[in-house]
Amino acid sequence: MSSPTCSKTIAYEQFLKKIDQYWQAHCRQMIMIRSIFLFLDRTYVLQNSSIMSIWDMGLDLFRAHIVGHHIVQTRTVDGLLQLIERDRNGEAVDRQLLKSLLRMLSDLQIYQDAFERKFLEATDRLYAAEGQRLMEQRDVPEYLLHVEKRLSEESERFLHYLDQSTKKPVINLVEKQLLEQHVSHILQKGLDQLLHENRIADLTRLYTLFSRVRDGLKEQCAAFATYIKNTGKVIVLNIDTDPEKDKDMVQLLLDFKAKIDNILAVCFTSNEKFINAMKESFEHFINVRQNKPAELIAKYVDSKLRAGNKEATEEELERLLDRIMVLFRFIHGKDVFEAFYKKDLAKRLLVGKSASVDAEKSMLSKLKQECGGGFTQKLEGMFKDMELSKDFMLAFKQHMQNIDAPGGIELTVNILTMGYWPPYPPMEVHLPAEMVKLQDIFQKFYLFKHSGRKLQWQPTLGHCVLKAVFSGGNKELQVSLFQTLCLLLFSEGEEFTFDEIKDHTGIEINELRRTLQSLACGKARVLQKLPKGKDVNDGDKFLFNDEFKHKLFRIKINQIQMKETQEENTSTTERVFHDRQYQVDAAIVRIMKTRKTLSHNLLISELYNQLKFPVKPGDLKKRIESLIDRDYMERDKDNPNQYLYVA
Amino acid sequence: MNQGWTAVATWHWVANDENCGICRMAFDGCCPDCKLPGDDCPLVWGECSHCFHIHCIVKWLNSQQVHQLCPMCRQDWKFKE
Repeated sequence: MSSPTCSKTIAYEQFLKKIDQYWQAHCRQMIMIRSIFLFLDRTYVLQNSSIMSIWDMGLDLFRAHIVGHHIVQTRTVDGLLQLIERDRNGEAVDRQLLKSLLRMLSDLQIYQDAFERKFLEATDRLYAAEGQRLMEQRDVPEYLLHVEKRLSEESERFLHYLDQSTKKPVINLVEKQLLEQHVSHILQKGLDQLLHENRIADLTRLYTLFSRVRDGLKEQCAAFATYIKNTGKVIVLNIDTDPEKDKDMVQLLLDFKAKIDNILAVCFTSNEKFINAMKESFEHFINVRQNKPAELIAKYVDSKLRAGNKEATEEELERLLDRIMVLFRFIHGKDVFEAFYKKDLAKRLLVGKSASVDAEKSMLSKLKQECGGGFTQKLEGMFKDMELSKDFMLAFKQHMQNIDAPGGIELTVNILTMGYWPPYPPMEVHLPAEMVKLQDIFQKFYLFKHSGRKLQWQPTLGHCVLKAVFSGGNKELQVSLFQTLCLLLFSEGEEFTFDEIKDHTGIEINELRRTLQSLACGKARVLQKLPKGKDVNDGDKFLFNDEFKHKLFRIKINQIQMKETQEENTSTTERVFHDRQYQVDAAIVRIMKTRKTLSHNLLISELYNQLKFPVKPGDLKKRIESLIDRDYMERDKDNPNQYLYVA
Repeated sequence: MNQGWTAVATWHWVANDENCGICRMAFDGCCPDCKLPGDDCPLVWGECSHCFHIHCIVKWLNSQQVHQLCPMCRQDWKFKE
């Protein structure tokens, strides 16, 4: 005997073995006795219901004299519990012995009273302690692995020796003590990390385990939503307001969405509640920052639809567009998207930079499906204008063959219907005589075909192909109309000052500065500037660069865009807000017209129902004030919170 | 040397008035039944040189039982070719 505890356990085990032996012997002997008195058992005993059968009497005697004895029973049950605890701790125990004794208890019908209650208590204590301890010691994935192991061990135990009737309460206890008690703790400690590191297996385990406990999935769903909101907010808000990061926002959002979708499908069995939570969360965080995400999505689409984007095949592009549409669906201010998309679409169409008509049309039909025909009407109108222009140019070419026109220049005109396209600021420039003449011929022809109209030329949008002769060989230059005007000057003279160019071309001064910068300070320097430098100043002189060399024959010289996009950007946003004002006004009048009188709060809440874009209550108030000023409605004289509609 | 020129122009209506005399909407806009201005909602001129949205004047003419008169000057309405 090495130690008292040890001796005690051995004593328990020996005691249990002894009891088992007695029980086995008792059973054998009872069977023998029953066989001998079989006739008695089958006739007299059966006929008299007050007398127990021989077997039952045997059990009764064993219960009354041996197991019923207080000390024997406690020692047996305690011994059993100790043995089971050792089994749970992973020690090898005599399972046969356990099984036999537990069978004995059931046969004696004292399993529930003497054993089960105590057993459940012990289980409860054990796992409560274990849950507490391990939650602190282990990190979440390990803990979950452990819980999974425990659950399978416990079910296995019922196959080996425990009575099936106890299975449900025991499993419930394990779930309760190891999971239910710790649900929020586990989620708090581990979910974000698991999601962040995209640990598919661990997340699957978490989901399966939590689906076993009450409210487990509900809490997990809530935590999942919070994670999406927080992560998404970081992407969208871009706290440093670093424009470089804004550029990546849409790509990041798409990647994030793909990751979450994958987790939903693989780990969370596409649970509808989770999917809805995901959608709500996306909608929430993407609208935390107003307007910018919509703008960036529009720009992202533009970058994908623009020519020269060869990274994707048609099918990939199509799939990408579908994914973008999913993000788009979450956006509240769809009008912002439309404005930017329209602006970019206009550029693509007019400069002929659209990668594929099919992709454009498919994007358009997606938008139409998503937001209805009204949303895309103008965009469709733009495509129609392009087609009408093409047809009209055919007619014009024929017309040109019949008249005596200044040769050399091939004119193509895109004729735009005012309302469809983004507004362009009118600008006057001095064209060379031959171009003016050509323009007049076209204008006359157009007005002859369409009476009652007026044409307004948009020099900002025109572009040309120029043939230039350098000492290093002939080149074709693809340039904007402004660049053309500057370059054409140099076929008349060698050297011009900034002011001379300004007077000759009539281009607005800032515009001209950018244009000359692109020609003399950009990548392809077809002009030389004196003195040299990055910026164009008023006194600078410009020379034709005869030495110009380039490996390509056809060269495109980009306008310098930086500042322009900044201006365009604010003007586009302003335009959207302006349009929104009208929509708010219309909605207020519509509501007041049907209701006649309405309190301020009710009006505001109805407005929020009708308006499809985010507005601040303060802005709504301003619109109401403005409508009161314009006599569309008035305040009730007795109650300033009540509005009356003025017919 | 200039070889090819792709120009861009926008067109709008030239009418002797700002608004359509029937619907009072701007000529640069469209009639109340249309959503978008442009080719889908064109203007027409009468021989009296008054000008309306085609949808507006057609509606007006259909509502006239006996004589079809210009709503502005009460002369016989004839479309100007």
